[in-house]
Amino acid sequence: MYIISVYSENQVGLLSSISQIFTRRNINIESLTVFPSEFPGVHHFTFRVVTDEFSASQVVKFIEKKVEVLRAYWYESNSVSAGEHDDLSAYLIEKDKTQK
Amino acid sequence: MGQQYTGAEILLKALLDAGVDTVFGYPGGSIIKVYDELSKYQGKLRHILVRHEQGAIHAAQGYARASGKPGVVIVTSGPGATNVITGVADAMIDSTPVVVITGQVGNASLGTDAFQETDVIGMTGPIDKWTFQIRRPEDVAPAVAKAFYIASSGRPGPVVLDFTKDAQTGLAGYEFRKCSFIRSYDPHPEASEEALDRAAEMINDARKPLLVFGQGVAISHAEGALDAFLRKSGIPAASTMLGLSSLPSANPLYMGMVGMHGNMAPNILTCNCDLLIAVGMRFSDRVTGHTPSYAAQARKIHIDIDESEIGKIVPVDLGILGDAREVLEALTARVHTASYPEWIASADRAREVERTRVALPETAPAEGPVKMGEVVAEVMRAVGDDAIVVTDVGQNQLISARYSRFVRSRSFISSGGLGTMGFGLPAAMGAKLAVPGRQVCLFVGDGGLQMTIQELGTIMQDRIGVKIILLDNNWLGNVRQWQELFFGGRYSCTRMLNPDYGLIAAAYGIGFRAVSERAELSSAVLEMLDSEGPFLLDARVLEEGMVYPMIPPMKPLDRIMVSKDEWYSDGE
Repeated sequence: MYIISVYSENQVGLLSSISQIFTRRNINIESLTVFPSEFPGVHHFTFRVVTDEFSASQVVKFIEKKVEVLRAYWYESNSVSAGEHDDLSAYLIEKDKTQK
Repeated sequence: MGQQYTGAEILLKALLDAGVDTVFGYPGGSIIKVYDELSKYQGKLRHILVRHEQGAIHAAQGYARASGKPGVVIVTSGPGATNVITGVADAMIDSTPVVVITGQVGNASLGTDAFQETDVIGMTGPIDKWTFQIRRPEDVAPAVAKAFYIASSGRPGPVVLDFTKDAQTGLAGYEFRKCSFIRSYDPHPEASEEALDRAAEMINDARKPLLVFGQGVAISHAEGALDAFLRKSGIPAASTMLGLSSLPSANPLYMGMVGMHGNMAPNILTCNCDLLIAVGMRFSDRVTGHTPSYAAQARKIHIDIDESEIGKIVPVDLGILGDAREVLEALTARVHTASYPEWIASADRAREVERTRVALPETAPAEGPVKMGEVVAEVMRAVGDDAIVVTDVGQNQLISARYSRFVRSRSFISSGGLGTMGFGLPAAMGAKLAVPGRQVCLFVGDGGLQMTIQELGTIMQDRIGVKIILLDNNWLGNVRQWQELFFGGRYSCTRMLNPDYGLIAAAYGIGFRAVSERAELSSAVLEMLDSEGPFLLDARVLEEGMVYPMIPPMKPLDRIMVSKDEWYSDGE
């Protein structure tokens, strides 16, 4: 079991086109949650899927290609995603600087 | 409050501010307001009225591929939108910048199965680069700015704006601000110094290096950088089908095209190299053949701007995420000056076998019916290798990819990844409109021509001077070839009765000549090229013509059929 964790801007139709990335590869979504993240305006999706490591990493790369996706991560469901929060936080700060 | 405009007019103003001069489209009920405003913009924004929406998007693709600027399409909702879907998928897989505006029903009717309503967002999301539904007039200008930025930056692709009636008719002020930043989107990754150093080391250590490039070179304007890299490093280079024309055919380090129907030398070199440098290409199965054995003996460097391509098909020793031009320039500075005459000469036997056993019999046969390759070679001779070659899909495409020659970049336009029959005629139209000063030669089969033959009407109305070379064999030739080779000669549903193309050309007022004799081929080609405006040359070619060499699907690249019964063997 793998967890795919996705942070994105709010955009109509995004959930559908992200879930399509799993469907196209014949990966069944066991569970899905969508909720506002602790970062203002950033949505957090988590997908729990049965797949292999290569497919999980591929799916994440394709999800990250979606314009509104900020960051996507994958990990085995029994491991801990300690780096996610810090990584996204650093990304947003960096982007904030670029814009100004 | 400043001056107010309808959303429909804002769209047109924003297109002009985004640098658009030509749009391809077809009106309808849910886009009629845009067409109404368009009447005010005659002379500023040229609208090409196609005969079917699929023609609009392929024309926009041809326009984009010839010019490097995004092609623009305006169509109505429902069937208008679904008719462009094939082109959207085609533009996505071939990295073509296209901005598609689809009309949509009013906001209150969304999701009600209203007349000509369809879920454009849901349908295009999985097959385009970005989709956005514009529901308010004040969102029009920012959406257009964003659309052009996304379509043309990074790895280019198609963008769809679904434009509701409320957004078209509602009023808003107008201000156009070019978009150059989106927080969640990084189109211009910078190659890491560490990766560049490592790549240079691998290149300097190699004894039998080969570079394979794709369309990424043209997209990144890396033609000069590639040439400079090759000249310094001495490394031989081969092209994918969509990479064709990024290096002049006469470049001494150019080894030809790789893949299923590619040249034998670069395919053999792929099997023998010790380092493969892939630039702006994506290891399509038409390039790799049997993937696990693809250059399995070699170390591999993959340079691409799309991170998801690196390691997707072929595991690589080093991936460099970055712009092809910048990476090649950085590598040129780092690599040693070298040359590899013995390594290049190691493929001489493959070259000679291809020349004598395949190319000469195809392009210069002494007797028998006219052959496809002969027609392509005659056209290339007559244009001095300088034309924009557009192809449809099938044998016409493979044979023109094999025998076309190029002196300038952006001179080969074909549906590569999706393999869309019917692409050719509208794409040629778009290319000619983008670059009117160049000769545009379309090679098309009798199957593909009839898939979008309605666009002869557009060609007639706008006097678009494309030269259509119909390789006419009364078969769906490529499927027929596979049936002959792999399906026991059972020609199921591939024989096709043709109409009288002379009558069709006459009906559209298009110049026409049919040719079936070798002795007349040269004068027929010259008549076509010398004619003013569009011309249809109906070349009646050998019906059972085959495209060789051929590596059967999913076979290693050294399993090459030179003819039906003859396999190439690399050993002496």
